[in-house]
Amino acid sequence: MHESEDIKLRIKHYRYSFYLGQLLGLWFTVTHVRSLHTSGCGQQQEAVAVETDPEPFSVFRTQENDPACQSEKHFGQYYTLPSADVRTLFPHGLPRRFQQQVKTFNEACVMVRQPALEVISCLKKTDNSKPAVRYLFYGLKGSGKTMSLCHTVHFCYTQGWLVLHIPDAHLWVKNCKELLPSSYKTSRFDQPLQATEWLRDFRTTNEKFLSKIKTTQRYMWTKREFTEEGSSLGQLVEQGITRVKSSSDVVGAVMKELRLQSGQPESNLRVAVAVDGVNALWGRSTIKKEDKSAVDPEELTLVCNLRKLMKNDWTGGAIITTLSQTGSLYTSKSAYLPQELLGERGFDSMDPFIPVSVPNYSEKEFESCYLYYKDRHWLQHPQSQTEDGKKEIIFLSNRNPAMLERICAFL
Amino acid sequence: MLGFISFSQQAPEGPTNRRTLTDTHIVKMAAAFAGLLKPWTPRVCLVRWSRYNPYYLEPEVRKDAYSRPEEELTAEEKEQRELKALRPIKAATNSVTSSVFNDPVLSKFINMIMKDGNKIRARDIVTQTLESIKRKQVEKYHKAPEGKKEEIECCPYAIFHQALENCKPVVGLASIQKGGKFYQVPIPLTESRRRFLAMKWMITECRDNKHRRTHMYEKLSQELLAASIKEGNVIKKKHELHKMAESNRAYAHYRWW
Repeated sequence: MHESEDIKLRIKHYRYSFYLGQLLGLWFTVTHVRSLHTSGCGQQQEAVAVETDPEPFSVFRTQENDPACQSEKHFGQYYTLPSADVRTLFPHGLPRRFQQQVKTFNEACVMVRQPALEVISCLKKTDNSKPAVRYLFYGLKGSGKTMSLCHTVHFCYTQGWLVLHIPDAHLWVKNCKELLPSSYKTSRFDQPLQATEWLRDFRTTNEKFLSKIKTTQRYMWTKREFTEEGSSLGQLVEQGITRVKSSSDVVGAVMKELRLQSGQPESNLRVAVAVDGVNALWGRSTIKKEDKSAVDPEELTLVCNLRKLMKNDWTGGAIITTLSQTGSLYTSKSAYLPQELLGERGFDSMDPFIPVSVPNYSEKEFESCYLYYKDRHWLQHPQSQTEDGKKEIIFLSNRNPAMLERICAFL
Repeated sequence: MLGFISFSQQAPEGPTNRRTLTDTHIVKMAAAFAGLLKPWTPRVCLVRWSRYNPYYLEPEVRKDAYSRPEEELTAEEKEQRELKALRPIKAATNSVTSSVFNDPVLSKFINMIMKDGNKIRARDIVTQTLESIKRKQVEKYHKAPEGKKEEIECCPYAIFHQALENCKPVVGLASIQKGGKFYQVPIPLTESRRRFLAMKWMITECRDNKHRRTHMYEKLSQELLAASIKEGNVIKKKHELHKMAESNRAYAHYRWW
């Protein structure tokens, strides 16, 4: 039963691909179509499609652009992120190659995939008063963990949650240009540059919340500078951006405020914490102190505050994280499982979490991706349109999304 | 046939003395006719340094060669196929591929970019070049208004071939000594020499006139895009050569006397 459906679907794919190919002037060889069904049938299909459907209809796109309304029937289809959302929600959050693709294709399309929808359906059902649940995307390198995270974050954003997105936690434990001893606690270190950058992104993403949320306590930055109790979150963030020295502590203060205020019945505030590369928090760092010894991530103010956020002692939100081997330090290249990347300490502090595996593309998803690239004129090599070329692409990429993207980049 | 004879002559198991004599005789005779029998045969066969003894067959990587049915083959090909079942076959070299995306001109270009035998790096540069050409063109395509979309060439391979075609010179110059003086004499060029010059100019142009902070692939993609519409420094260089040949046309007869 299931298999026959699958075959039907595949045939449908081929039919549409034939029609699409004609529409775009990318001619399929007729023999290819004939091998599936008679050419007369194909022509009929085309004629019907042209008459009934004037606007370009496609199997690989869905018009459902709201992540909340997406369901199983949209699996493998692309939905469009509105460009306004991309600018506010992901100032630096998207992967680099995807940013390039957005620029090239003049649109931001994300495939609806199983792992993201799984988390979204869980998020819809969560009880507001219970402690925050931790979700962890894991999977092989380049299988789309970050994109799944972005999809989930987009859902949270459209639901009106406050989004606290850390695009790559690994950047906080390496290549630090300026390292200052903290004024709050002498054993800690501040990273003013990273902190201000993050605060800036936070400000663009959560513009509407900044004036609504009030601080619950008085913060002293220096002898003269302080933020009063009851002042808005916007003022707090502004303080961090203008006074670079105190920015790391401001990040800590912002996180603390959100932790305290989310899930309170009167405020109805919900916070989504999205951390990419969460294994950085419990790994090692390459930052050196003055005496050339390595800094433990625990000693960094930013990482320390983020770890507090990872504890689920606060309510009314969700913690969505991904593991990532790319960019991590002192880990083996083949490691991808949570216990391998998080380490014992990290695993114990993340436990309990909901692991969500992100696999490579299935056959259907690959087909959809292939058609999407063809639609966007991304596959230009004359051989890449043929059946042989497709087989070779599958063989080379093993249906791994990132590999597929890289291989298609020069075809 | 000839090669095989000369191989057996050198084989270490040692044919008898008399046999060797007759073989040399045949080799000499055959060498006289070699020019008539084949378009070109190598004068020297490196027998001693070859990894394989003559018993090994050449590898065949084309897929369609294996998918042809038995009936279509000629008697000679059938014999070859039977030989393959029995005799060992040489390992294919790493430049040989059965990929459908293979392009001989492009692989030649990659080999010319290669330094120190670092082919992976050279190939990376070329693939990145193709990618960045495609990115530019596809972006232009999607931004263009409806009517003008068809005019934009997006295929990086077509652009690459067009660019090389535009860079190929029609005539060349050779330095010929006549009466104690060297003259730059215009000469016709063979197809491979024209291709070589086009590639060499393209590569040296990108290597020399590149800002040190731009990547090779960026510069290369700019130059290829420019050359495909007959602009850029490489095309200028070609025109210079043409002009030189034109002004030296009076010496053209020095090719013969």
